[in-house]
Amino acid sequence: MKNKRLLIISAVSFSLIFTACKKNKDKEEEQKDDFNKTELLTNMADNIIIPSYISYKSSVDSLELATTTFISNKNNANLLSLRAKFQNVYLSFEVVSAFEFGPAESEVFRSGANTFPCDTPQINSNINTEVYDLNMASNFDAKGYPALDYLLYGKGKTDQQILDHFTIDSNAVKRSGYLIALVAELKTKATSIVNQWNSSYRTTFISSNGSDIGSSVGLLVNQLNQDLEITKNYRVGIPLGKKTLGVVLPEKCEAYYSKASLVLLKKHVESLEKIYLGNSGKGFDDYLDFLNAQYNGASLNATITNQFTVVKEKINLIPETLDNSVVNNQAPVDVAYTELQRLVVLLKADMPSALGIVITYQDTDGD
Amino acid sequence: MINKLKNNLLRDVSIAPLVVFRIAFGALMFLSTLRFIMKGWVYDMYIKPEHFFPFYGFEWLSPLSSNGMYAVFCLMLISALFIMTGLFYRISTTLFFLLFTYVELIDKTNYLNHYYFISLVSFLIIFLPAAKAYSLDNLFFKRSSLKSVSNYWIWTIKFQVLIVYFFAGVAKLNYDWLFEAQPLRIWLPAQNHLPVVGGLMDELWVAYFFSWFGCVYDLFIPFLLVRRKTIFIAYFFVIVFHLATRALFNIGMFPYIMIALTVIFFPEEFHKKLLSFLPDLNTHTSTKQYSNSIFKRRIFFYVMGLFFFFQLLMPFRYIAYPGKLFWTEQGFRFSWRVMLMEKAGTSFFYVEDKTSGKKIEISNCDYLTPMQEKMMCTQPDMMLQYARIIKNDFEKKGMENFAVKADAFVTLNGGGSRRFVDSSIDLSSLKDDFKNKTWILPY
Repeated sequence: MKNKRLLIISAVSFSLIFTACKKNKDKEEEQKDDFNKTELLTNMADNIIIPSYISYKSSVDSLELATTTFISNKNNANLLSLRAKFQNVYLSFEVVSAFEFGPAESEVFRSGANTFPCDTPQINSNINTEVYDLNMASNFDAKGYPALDYLLYGKGKTDQQILDHFTIDSNAVKRSGYLIALVAELKTKATSIVNQWNSSYRTTFISSNGSDIGSSVGLLVNQLNQDLEITKNYRVGIPLGKKTLGVVLPEKCEAYYSKASLVLLKKHVESLEKIYLGNSGKGFDDYLDFLNAQYNGASLNATITNQFTVVKEKINLIPETLDNSVVNNQAPVDVAYTELQRLVVLLKADMPSALGIVITYQDTDGD
Repeated sequence: MINKLKNNLLRDVSIAPLVVFRIAFGALMFLSTLRFIMKGWVYDMYIKPEHFFPFYGFEWLSPLSSNGMYAVFCLMLISALFIMTGLFYRISTTLFFLLFTYVELIDKTNYLNHYYFISLVSFLIIFLPAAKAYSLDNLFFKRSSLKSVSNYWIWTIKFQVLIVYFFAGVAKLNYDWLFEAQPLRIWLPAQNHLPVVGGLMDELWVAYFFSWFGCVYDLFIPFLLVRRKTIFIAYFFVIVFHLATRALFNIGMFPYIMIALTVIFFPEEFHKKLLSFLPDLNTHTSTKQYSNSIFKRRIFFYVMGLFFFFQLLMPFRYIAYPGKLFWTEQGFRFSWRVMLMEKAGTSFFYVEDKTSGKKIEISNCDYLTPMQEKMMCTQPDMMLQYARIIKNDFEKKGMENFAVKADAFVTLNGGGSRRFVDSSIDLSSLKDDFKNKTWILPY
C-alpha cells in the first residue's frame, strides 16, 4: 500500500519534471533570448579585464623606461616625458582599479597603488632614512601614484625646483632611489597580475559562474560598488567637506599635485560604466533586461544607464581644477556628488537585489 | 474528544523516539557548531565587529573577549556531545540552551529563524526524559534504563516541529508570494547556471510552481506527518523539499536539521529498530514507568502551555502595527517568515550640527561589518541602534548639540529602491520600543 502510494507520487513528480523539460525545449525552439552568466564572465575577462590589464602593464613599462631615462639623464625634457608617462599610467590605473579580486586582491593592488592623499612627511622620512618596507601598512600612503604625484610635481614647485630635488638637493640621490623603488613595485605587481590572469585565473573566473559569495558575478558587482564608493567618498566627498562639516579639503583630492583629479575622475566613472555595460558585449545591462528588472515602474537597466549619463554630465560641468572648484565653486561639485550618491543606491541596493546575488564579503547562512 | 486527546497524551509509549531525537539533535548541534567555528564565523560575527545590535531588552549583553567567545563555542561543542551521549543530561541541555541563546541575542545581524528554532528546541529538551535510556548517565550512575514514557513528552517536540511548518505556510499566504511569485522569481534565475535544472530556473512558471508547492507543503505537511498512514509519504516530501532548498539556496545546516528531526514522527517500532544497533549501556532494565509527581507534571504543563502559547501568539503581533509588514518589519522576527522577501538597502547616515545645519557624512564601514551594514539598512530598529552607536562615538569625540539623520533607500522584492525613513528625524533621539515607528515612510 505504502509502496504503491510512493510509486504514484514518484510517477507524478517525474511527469512534472518531464513536462517541465519539454516545455523548456519548446521555449528554446522559440529562440528565447537566453542569458547565461558564463557569457557575461567570458566577455568581461576577454574584452575588458585582460585587455585593460595588458594596457595598464604596458603603461607601467613605459613609466619604468621613462624613469630609467630620467634618472640616467636628469634634464627638463626627460622630466616632462616622465610626467607624461605618469599621467598616462594613472589613467590606465583608473580602468583596472575595480577588479580588486583574485590576482589583484592577493597583490593588495588598489590600496597599494592609490591610497590618497599621500603622507608627505612619511615619504620624506622614507627618503631620508632609506629604511622602509613598502609592504607595511604605514607606507601605503607613501607609495604608488599619489607618492609619484608628489615627487614629480610637488606643491607649488617650478619644474626647475623639482629637477633640483633630483639633482642638487642634499637628498637627491636618495630621492632618485625612492622613485625607482616605487616604480619597481608598481611594475612587479602589474606583471604578477597580468601573468595570473593569462595563466590560470581566467578559467577560474569564468567557471565560477554561480551567484553566491565568491562567485565571479558577486565579485564583480561587489568591487564595482566598492570602487564607486571610493569615487563618491574619496575622489569627491572628502575634498568637498562631506565628512568635515562642510570644511573643504582640496589637498585631499586625488592627484592633487599634478592637478589631474577631474580627468582621472571622469576616466574612472567611464570605466565603471564600461564594466556595467560589458563594453559592447554581454554586461549587467543585458542581464538586468533579461530578468526584466524593474525600478518603480521603469526598467532598472534604463534607470542605471541613464544615471551613469547624468553623473558623467554633472562631472563635466565641474570647472577645472577640482581642488579649485571645491574651494571656489562648490555648487557643481555638490550636484555631481548627489548624482553619484544616487548611482550608489542603484548599484548597491537595486542591482544586486534584482540579480539575486550576495555581495557582502562575509560568508554566512541565509534564512 | 478532549478526553480522548487527554488519554492519548497520557498513555505510555516507547521512549525510543525521544532517545533517537536526543542523539540526532546532539550530533547535529555538534556538527553545526563545529562548522560555525571552522568557517571562521566566531571571529567574523563576534570578535571582529566593533559594535553590536543586541535584541530589545538584552542591550546589557555583549560578546566576551576573543578567547571568551571561543570558549563559549567550545563549551557548546562539549555540551552538544554530552546531549548526544546522554551525559549530565539536565546540565548539558541547560548549558547548551543558555550558551546558544546568549550568542544569538548578542547581535540581530545574525538572526535566522532556524537559530530561533534551535533555541526553542534546546529549551524544550531540558525538560524531557530523553536520557533515561541509551545514555552515559545510566551507565555511570548505574541507573536502570526506562522503556516507556508518557506520550506528551514526545508530543511537545512534535508540536514544536509542526508549529514551524504551519506558520511558515501561513506566512506564505500573501499576495507577493502567491500571485507575484516573489521573491522566488528573483532568486531562482540566479541559479540558472546549475547543471540539468539550470534552464528551468529562468522560467517564470517554475517560480510560481515552487511558491505554491512550498506554501501547500508547509501548510499541509503537519497533517500528513501526524497520521501514521501518511507519515512515509510526508517524509518523502520532507526530504524532497529540504534537499531542493539546500540545492538552491545558501541555508546551511537547516535542511539537514529538519530532515533529521522530523524522524520523531515515525512509529516507535522504527525508532526501536534504530536503537537496536546501539548498546543499551545498561544491564538491568526497570519496568518502572518514569514517574512524575502530579505536582511536577502540572508545573510542566503550565510551562509548556506558556511556552507554546507565546509561540502561537508571536507570529500575529504584526497585526498590531499599521503598514506593510515586509516594509516596516514591525513584528517580523520570531514568526517563521522564512525566505519570504528579497530586500536590500543603502543608507547614508549624517551627523548634523544643530546650530549650523552642516553635516558629516558617515562611512558605514567605519563602524559596521558588511553584514551588519546590509542588515541595518533594511531593518528600522537596527537603524535606531546604529544612530545611537554614531551618537556615542561623536559624543566621545567631544561634539555637542548634534542630530543623527539618514538618507535611506530600500528595494523590496525587486520593486526598485524608495526612500525608507524620514530624513528629517534625529534617529539618535528616538528610543526603540514596541510602539509604531511613525518615522518609517509608507511603502
